[in-house]
Amino acid sequence: MSRLLSLSSVAAVVLLAGLTSAFAESGGTITGKVDATPSKMLPDTVVYLKNVPGNYPPKTLNEDQRGMKFIPHILLATVGDTVEFLNHDNVAHNVYSPDNDGFNLGTFKQDEKRSQKFDQAGSYTLLCSIHPEMLGYIFVGQNPYSAAVDAKGEYTIRGVPPGAYQLEVWNPKLKAAPKSVTVTAGGKVSENISIKR
Amino acid sequence: MSMLRSVSVVVLGAVVAVALPSSPAWAIPAFARKYGTSCLTCHTVYPKLTPFGEAFRRNGYRFPGVDSDYVKQDTVPLGQDANKKTFPNSVWPNTIPISAPIAFGVNGQLNIFPDKNASVPRANNDIRVAVDQLIAEGHMWVGAALDDSITVWGEITIADGGADVEHAQVLFNDIVGPKHAVNLVVGKGFSTISSFGAHSSFLADQMITNFPVTGVYGTSTDPFVLVDNYSGLELNGVLGGLVDYSAGWNGGKNTFTSSFNSQNWYAHAGVKLGGMPLDGEGFTAPADAMHPWAETSLTLDGFVYRSSEHFPQPADTTLSVHDSSMTYGGDLRGQLGSAELDAGYYRQHHERGTATLDSVDADVIWGELSYIVFPWMVPALRVERLALSPSGGSSVSNLHLMPGVAFLIRANIKVVAVVNVEIGKGYAADASGAPLAWSGGSGDLGSFVLSPMADATPTTSRNELESIAVFMAWAI
Repeated sequence: MSRLLSLSSVAAVVLLAGLTSAFAESGGTITGKVDATPSKMLPDTVVYLKNVPGNYPPKTLNEDQRGMKFIPHILLATVGDTVEFLNHDNVAHNVYSPDNDGFNLGTFKQDEKRSQKFDQAGSYTLLCSIHPEMLGYIFVGQNPYSAAVDAKGEYTIRGVPPGAYQLEVWNPKLKAAPKSVTVTAGGKVSENISIKR
Repeated sequence: MSMLRSVSVVVLGAVVAVALPSSPAWAIPAFARKYGTSCLTCHTVYPKLTPFGEAFRRNGYRFPGVDSDYVKQDTVPLGQDANKKTFPNSVWPNTIPISAPIAFGVNGQLNIFPDKNASVPRANNDIRVAVDQLIAEGHMWVGAALDDSITVWGEITIADGGADVEHAQVLFNDIVGPKHAVNLVVGKGFSTISSFGAHSSFLADQMITNFPVTGVYGTSTDPFVLVDNYSGLELNGVLGGLVDYSAGWNGGKNTFTSSFNSQNWYAHAGVKLGGMPLDGEGFTAPADAMHPWAETSLTLDGFVYRSSEHFPQPADTTLSVHDSSMTYGGDLRGQLGSAELDAGYYRQHHERGTATLDSVDADVIWGELSYIVFPWMVPALRVERLALSPSGGSSVSNLHLMPGVAFLIRANIKVVAVVNVEIGKGYAADASGAPLAWSGGSGDLGSFVLSPMADATPTTSRNELESIAVFMAWAI
């Protein structure tokens, strides 16, 4: 019986993996390039789909503090995710954000970590009250279909369920009007965006 | 007669000192580094500013639009923008440049005195050529933005007499109302009495001609002049790109041993018709891309300045004299393509300006006509006239003609050659009635230096070819 149970468990895992893979392959891809005016404000840019119905199991992500920097500079999360803030510097840090419902995790020393669950969509500026020059962002979307642009301004959002959506851009200082995109199973959509004041 | 000659020599010695290059505050390469742009974005032959450069200066040394959008130099954040949301529990954020925003420059001149009977050769051993002032001064400038609304500006001048903090200002821009409408300047610097920068001349250190009345009469060793560095506060602004104004209060001049209330105040207003708006906002491109300095415009200005000056009494230096003056004046700038005409006038009434502490009216006229032949060569003619009308005395005047050419050897190296001619009709008189030398002008390449010959009286006329000055400067 126990052997049958083990075999059933393995089969269930394989089936689940296969279904996930099939689902991903049935999703579409949105790709494109963002240009910014002024161009030096391009790096802090996220392209995302505003509302994609679905169930998104919460996950735990890491945001590190190392070399007096938040790493990654922009962390992408989904509503319901928890972020663990780590400190790998040999100085104490503090993490707080004045955005949305805001949070302040207090001061924590090297190798300590603190957690924050994000129940509200939006962008969160990460600051350290001990080191005011530190800056990072957490972008919390309603769904996981978002991408930060690379150094050239290019982005790719993969595995998007087929459907019609609003493609939007977040940047701390620049903006662009939303764009409508239609994604087909296995298809690829290209959308370039210009952001400015 | 020998005593008169002795007095004349002493006065001429002072005149030579006055004729040496004064200490200009110019554009600074720190701005070139900040924006990653050439000096020529803001200047023709520096420190002369293009219309864009004037707008940059009026905006508190900021680009039109959002200044930080144009900054290419890295900055160190002293806080992040999001700290604005946490204020007052955090310090309002700003940045500083990653490298010190300083620039360094040197200037001096070579003087040729073709006529050994002119004033300076007469007082200086028949001098004919002098290169000892080829390097006369060094300058260190500072210019930076702390955020999109606060900027700083400073200058230290180093010469044989020591170092002097000439400018040190914090500019709080856009403090209330529409952009550029109301700005507060705190610190030491020039009073804004024109729509244009004080050094807005091709041939001289400054466009407005100074007349040190109490210095001419020998009562003050540091006389009040309109264009000088004073510590104080100033409100200024540009309204709708069309009108600019200023109003200020500063500490003025005092050579007495104790302090007095600061009572200098001034105000100015100007209007510009045509060309780039005074704040440069909304201006897309010059009409001729190959001549970005060119435009068709007319700017009219008016100003008023009240000064309160204290100095020791001539008869008893333990007592002070208070000379107050009131100045009314105005100027215009007309530009037609690459040609430009600047002209201005002011009348300055001193209550106790003469050597006998009587009232005197000073009338000053200046004009400068220039044409940019090439971006590196600008011929110009500058004319200045000083006149004095003391109460109960005869009017005297002196006309200074300055034809010259300004050259840019490189964008940050300049050479200016100027001929100085003076046509004098009389002299101011000291308490005993003896004639006094003229002084004043616009510095650098040629001040008023006409001094009386040994047999002169206050009504003697005299014309002189004073000098040919070749001025050189570089900045980095």
